Amino acid sequence: MSSNSQPTLNTDFCGMTFNSPIVLLSGCVGFGEEYTRVNGFSNRDVGAVCLKGTTQDARLGNQPHRVYETPQGMLNAIGLQNPGVDHVVNQILPNLDFTETRFIANVSGSSVEEYYEVTRRFDDSPIDAIEINISCPNVKEGGVAFGNDPVMSARVVETCRKATDKPLITKLSPNQTDIASNAKGCIEAGSDAFSVINTLMGMAIDIESRMPIIGNNQGGLSGPAIKPVALLKVHQVYQVCKTHQIPIIGQGGITTAEDALEFIIAGASAVGIGTALFYDPLVCKSINTGITDYLKSHQLSSVDQLVGTLQMNQSQPSKCGC
Amino acid sequence: MTKPHHNSVFLEEAEIISHQAFDGDQFIMRLLAPHCAAKAKPGSFVHLTCDPQLPMRRPISIMRSSYNEGWIELLYKRVGRGTTLLAQRQRGEKISILGPIGTPFKATPGQSRPLLIGGGVGMPPMIFLAESMRQESDKQPFVILGSEVPFPFKPTPSKILIPGIPEGVIASMPLLDDWGIGNRLASQQEFSGCFQGYVTELAQLWFRNLDRETRSQVEIFACGPHPMLEAVAAMASEWQVPCQVSLEEFMACGIGGCAGCVVEVQTADGPAMKRVCVDGPVFEAASVFN
Ligand SMILES: Cc1cc2nc3c(=O)[nH]c(=O)nc-3n(C[C@H](O)[C@H](O)[C@H](O)COP(=O)(O)OP(=O)(O)OC[C@H]3O[C@@H](n4cnc5c(N)ncnc54)[C@H](O)[C@@H]3O)c2cc1C
Ligand SMILES: Cc1cc2nc3c(=O)[nH]c(=O)nc-3n(C[C@H](O)[C@H](O)[C@H](O)COP(=O)(O)O)c2cc1C
Ligand code: FES
Repeated sequence: MSSNSQPTLNTDFCGMTFNSPIVLLSGCVGFGEEYTRVNGFSNRDVGAVCLKGTTQDARLGNQPHRVYETPQGMLNAIGLQNPGVDHVVNQILPNLDFTETRFIANVSGSSVEEYYEVTRRFDDSPIDAIEINISCPNVKEGGVAFGNDPVMSARVVETCRKATDKPLITKLSPNQTDIASNAKGCIEAGSDAFSVINTLMGMAIDIESRMPIIGNNQGGLSGPAIKPVALLKVHQVYQVCKTHQIPIIGQGGITTAEDALEFIIAGASAVGIGTALFYDPLVCKSINTGITDYLKSHQLSSVDQLVGTLQMNQSQPSKCGC
Repeated sequence: MTKPHHNSVFLEEAEIISHQAFDGDQFIMRLLAPHCAAKAKPGSFVHLTCDPQLPMRRPISIMRSSYNEGWIELLYKRVGRGTTLLAQRQRGEKISILGPIGTPFKATPGQSRPLLIGGGVGMPPMIFLAESMRQESDKQPFVILGSEVPFPFKPTPSKILIPGIPEGVIASMPLLDDWGIGNRLASQQEFSGCFQGYVTELAQLWFRNLDRETRSQVEIFACGPHPMLEAVAAMASEWQVPCQVSLEEFMACGIGGCAGCVVEVQTADGPAMKRVCVDGPVFEAASVFN
């Protein structure tokens, strides 16, 4: 790259062209339009927008409180409140502006059949790709119960694969022992890509009432507090993905361009922004600028050249951190 | 595809132009935020960063706004880690605000006798609403403010006579009185000139004094602690007058994206979970309390 040419943020992800490696994360931006309330915000600044987790029938979700601030992060237990897949496909998708960005559905269910049915409905819609959420910690059935079981994970992926030819992204849970071997099973079952990671399970207690603050008792932890965990999981999943050319949307606590670059170096082709928007709704603009500046100063012409370029220390890591 | 809600909320680095402490851990903060000030309505709130070290913002109602001078004013109570850090911020410093947010109060044309009830740090939206009614000659609002800690202003004897209000209950908020808006104060504490009791007890005295025709022109607006709103809603249904309440719930995004701030409301299609930040904070009382 000549020293004065501008690097590009355009990234190919499963055959889709992303304007930027940034993906807005499921559950943080409603059904794609909510943040357009904010003056200066544009979906054009991001490569893709993941819609809220969607199930076959409408769900009311959990009782309040659903969100709570914790050190450097937050807990949430929304409980997959959504209007059901028919409403999303018939009422919401027709009002999204697909010239601005790529829109990705986020599919959930309490049974393998429900995952199949919701995926099938989205397959017959203008949605660009489908993310299977087998890692939601906030519902009693399905979700993380599937994602923590490698056999069930692969079954869900295999079933959804039969329902669509659109890019299929599996969202992996950090709440499991061996995320890399689960990823391997999902690749064999037909996953085209991964989202790594969903939230970690957590709790907060009101010491006066001696009750959990979150209505659902427990919730998913997100934000900067989980970044180091997420980064290691991306690195681990990348070891499996790199030989299969399977891309990863790295996520968990990214708030700055430097955070995003760490995830890309660890093996993520795209980076997810969720909780950081709650603090700064215009954060994507500064992350784009920061990534561009880094590429320029390191004489790289695109993000692809940086993906998975992590140089490990020579010493063999021991399994325990003590 | 431009839609009505597009670009309606502004992210501003707002300079603190004054910050005053009052008894009872209460603070009034005036911020230079011209975009927010230009669009704020009674019931709107800002989602603000109390301190950069906290990962989440806090929702605080707008009490007053000046379009011409570009400021907004907030009244808040120090209750936890966020508001404690906010209380330490000095004049001249900047804080990040996102606003104005929310579905505001909507006065119904023809309901010429609005009753505004604000309890504790639920007073701000009522003051904003009262100020907006100053210009409307067909409205004759009456405001009741309640507090269990000293009021965040110096109460003065009112110059405005309110039929039905016991003699001796004359303490008022000077700002409202200067605007020509009838108002009285209530507290369980023995504050001089204030009605000793609940805001709803004082409101009942006012109601009973109205003739049937006038009563049918009443519309209630309220903001305050949940038990107070419940009592206000019950009073509204007793007198069969419309009532809007402003609710609170823990928030994350404050902009409609996370569904973190919901309350259960009754709709024509059955129960629904509505977002306090954008579907509210103002709701029809009858849809929330029943
Ligand atoms: C629409 C709206 C308008 C409000 N207007 C005002 C106002 O004008 N003046 C005022 O003093 N207060 C107002 N509040 C309440 C105010 O937001 C809380 O007192 C504040 O968030 C407490 O933060 P903290 O960190 O000091 O308290 P903590 O108790 O330490 O808070 C911990 C967490 O819980 C959340 N939380 C705790 N109590 C509340 C609450 N009542 N409402 C929402 N979130 C809460 C906090 O945001 C924080 O994330 C309003 C709330 C809402 C929803
Ligand atoms: C309020 C909230 C709601 C969420 N809802 C969903 C969801 O419906 N489906 C899903 O796959 N992930 C959901 N997530 C997880 C996020 O998409 C993301 O994976 C996680 O928050 C980590 O990224 P972050 O730290 O940048 O927020 C939700 C997260 C939050 C904070
Ligand atoms: S706080 Fe996120 S939807 Fe209201």
